[in-house]
Amino acid sequence: MKRRWFAGLRDDWRMVRQARDIQGQTRTPRTAQPHELVHRPSPFGTNWARTPGVQAARQVIQTGLLKPVTWNTVKPDVEGLDHLDNLDGPVVIVANHSSHLDAPLIIGSLPWRLRRRLAVGAAADYFFDKKWAAVITALVFNAFPIERRGSDRRRSLAPQLLADNWNLLLFPEGTRSEDGWMTPPRLGPAHLCVQRRVPMVPVVLRGTFAAMPRDRNWRPGQHRVVVRYGKPIHPEPNEGARALHARMMNALARLWAEDELGWYGSLRAQAKGELSLPTGPLEITAAESESESGAGSTDGRPRPVVPSGSWRRVWEASRPMPPKRKD
Amino acid sequence: MSRPGFVLEVDERTPALLMHQGEGFRLEKLPMGSRVIYPPESLPGLRDVDEEIRKALAAPVGRPPLSELLYAGMRLTIVFDDLSLPLPQMQTPDIRQRVIEHVLEAAAAKGVDDVELIAGNALHRRMTPAELKRTVGDRVYRSFFPHHLKNHDAEDKENLKEIGHTRHGEVVEINRRAAESDLIVYVNITLTPMSGGPKSVSVGLASYRSLKHHHNVQTLRNSKSFNDPPNSAMHHSYNRMAALLAENVNVFQIETTVNNDMFPKQMDFLNKREWEWNLKDQAAFLAVRRANELVPPAKRRQIWHRTAAPYGITGVNAGAPEDVHPITLKNVLRQQLTEVNGPSDIGIWGLPYICPYNVNSIMNPILVMSLSLGYLFNMYQNQPIVRPGGVAIFYHPVPNEFHSVHHPSYIDFFEEVLAETTDPVAIETKFEEQFATDPWYIHLYRNSYAYHGVHPLYMWYWGAHALEHLGDVIFVGGDRKTTERMGFRSASTLQDALEMARERVGSSPTITYQHTPPIAMADVR
Repeated sequence: MKRRWFAGLRDDWRMVRQARDIQGQTRTPRTAQPHELVHRPSPFGTNWARTPGVQAARQVIQTGLLKPVTWNTVKPDVEGLDHLDNLDGPVVIVANHSSHLDAPLIIGSLPWRLRRRLAVGAAADYFFDKKWAAVITALVFNAFPIERRGSDRRRSLAPQLLADNWNLLLFPEGTRSEDGWMTPPRLGPAHLCVQRRVPMVPVVLRGTFAAMPRDRNWRPGQHRVVVRYGKPIHPEPNEGARALHARMMNALARLWAEDELGWYGSLRAQAKGELSLPTGPLEITAAESESESGAGSTDGRPRPVVPSGSWRRVWEASRPMPPKRKD
Repeated sequence: MSRPGFVLEVDERTPALLMHQGEGFRLEKLPMGSRVIYPPESLPGLRDVDEEIRKALAAPVGRPPLSELLYAGMRLTIVFDDLSLPLPQMQTPDIRQRVIEHVLEAAAAKGVDDVELIAGNALHRRMTPAELKRTVGDRVYRSFFPHHLKNHDAEDKENLKEIGHTRHGEVVEINRRAAESDLIVYVNITLTPMSGGPKSVSVGLASYRSLKHHHNVQTLRNSKSFNDPPNSAMHHSYNRMAALLAENVNVFQIETTVNNDMFPKQMDFLNKREWEWNLKDQAAFLAVRRANELVPPAKRRQIWHRTAAPYGITGVNAGAPEDVHPITLKNVLRQQLTEVNGPSDIGIWGLPYICPYNVNSIMNPILVMSLSLGYLFNMYQNQPIVRPGGVAIFYHPVPNEFHSVHHPSYIDFFEEVLAETTDPVAIETKFEEQFATDPWYIHLYRNSYAYHGVHPLYMWYWGAHALEHLGDVIFVGGDRKTTERMGFRSASTLQDALEMARERVGSSPTITYQHTPPIAMADVR
């Protein structure tokens, strides 16, 4: 009897101790935690960055500091600027994104008439989460915040900026590439161009991942990079955002392929429908995928077998750019 | 400010949860992902209850102030809820005592001499003098007992009066003294949405002839649930009877509501959420549980029944029954209602030591059935917390024990009727009249302290809706023979019960534990 009672005490003690620490406290179960309103900081205002005084200061910074530093860090080859000759703005410039060098390279290479009224879309959660970073980003790049995620995203400033005759530089992938290859771009820029009836200028940057990849802020060395502008894409009457988006991806794919195939070769490949978005070189077809892993797609589209961020993809993407082709 | 009720999802942070199990309790580790329904935290009680009673009597809803209804030479009958409310019993002074004293002060001031106090016990056992004294207080008891403070007698044909028939042909027959009074003041404690309002006079003072119109299998199966009056066929019947009564008698209803403070300070851990137990609560749990094991069973039962609840009063409202009751219901639901997202495959309930019919008595197996499949299963609005064909798991030892004075007909019902059938319809058809009219049971009901002969059958009907809805009923820790007699199954542990439930609900069922007491009412959307 006595033994049973003590055994019961021991069992009860063990049950009481379940999920409790040495002080007898337990963490509140997740679903019992009190509901707290998420504190959303008030949006960082960037209108001050587009006042004449700040614009003048920015020109000094961009011309006297940003461009020299960037051009000293890498060896940029800027191509296709002639496509912009007849553009006065506003335009939406879209580019692939794999490095912090991308924005300075585009800003540094743009003609003055487009650059002087250029605003850059920057991730609100990355560039605008700290006040000091927000001030620098807005001052140097004339950046405005873009909210990338969350159901309660604030209204974007982009349509208003276009209405005010500002050119926009947007990176439709939403973030820098993990491995140097492109990720599927979002529809936002195409929607914007269709709604505001403004042209879109595709730009491809190559070699910037090798020069300054994600998670590496500075990699000294004169890496060759290419900044290649494509022909402006004007929204057709009654053209939808998806159709314009498809044309944009097509243009980016061709501009990308120009390094390997040459200008004419890339045009030929585009005409044959052989080009696709440069999401990585290591792809196999669905049939092969099924035979190897039994988990291939059924729609027959190529599917990467090497996961995003894999060393093999990074290896390929960080291969130094070959010397400029002499056609 | 009290925190609202909520549904916990068991995760790795969740400690073992408290489970009542008859005259004891335990901690149980529920499977990950199980849902646990907690009622809102206990609401703060009224600071000055006497002032609130005064206000309610001076400014009732749908009636003139009580003092204007009282006059010299009138026949005044004060009826009050019997000892089945509240549960557990309230620490003295009982709210009924406080209200009755105010009513009597007003009656005395108006020179009312003909005053009678009646406990509305219907077919429940008579309250003992000590229980009456505890309920109405020493002053009232001394002034009126034994000649003018009585229990209602549903078998005293001379003192019953038929009021008439409802449009559905239901006989309304109540206590003659009340029916012939100039004013009935009904003092009530509404503990669950089921009680109070139209039920008070039409049930509390009724006879078997009248009660059988709503206390039957058909009505109870169509009361989904009987704690949700708009969806309860039983309450529709009460309403019809109350409407007829309103045309013939003058009722001034005083309804009170209590908060969820069901256990005294020393056992505060029973009122708290487990992850908020401090070291003192944990020590108290161990001490009370181990001491509870040491105490002999009879003494243990006595201690539990003597443990009175330090309820706070959350509302006192007076006036016409049909006007007062909606206000009262709002107060009750404010304290008990928790919204739940859909039913689950398995429902779990820990059964406490008390139900309305074993105050100062023994919880026999029939009462266990009535508490589990009747009261607790029906603590829902919209739909049960268990899906149709799902499994209910209850924690109770279900001992084969009966109180021979309080529950004589229960013994016969268990031994003879349940040995033959557990089907409520068959029981009603074959045995109800026999039990209801048995002269020996009637004698014991009137002269001893026994529940009416038909009462165990009513308790079985109470669970008729659950029996029809559920696929299986399992009692963890239940006596195997006793549960088997009632058509249920028993398991040693929760794991065993879940294993047994697999044949009905598969190997990865959804589980909901309705954490009560304190009383939690689920609004299942």
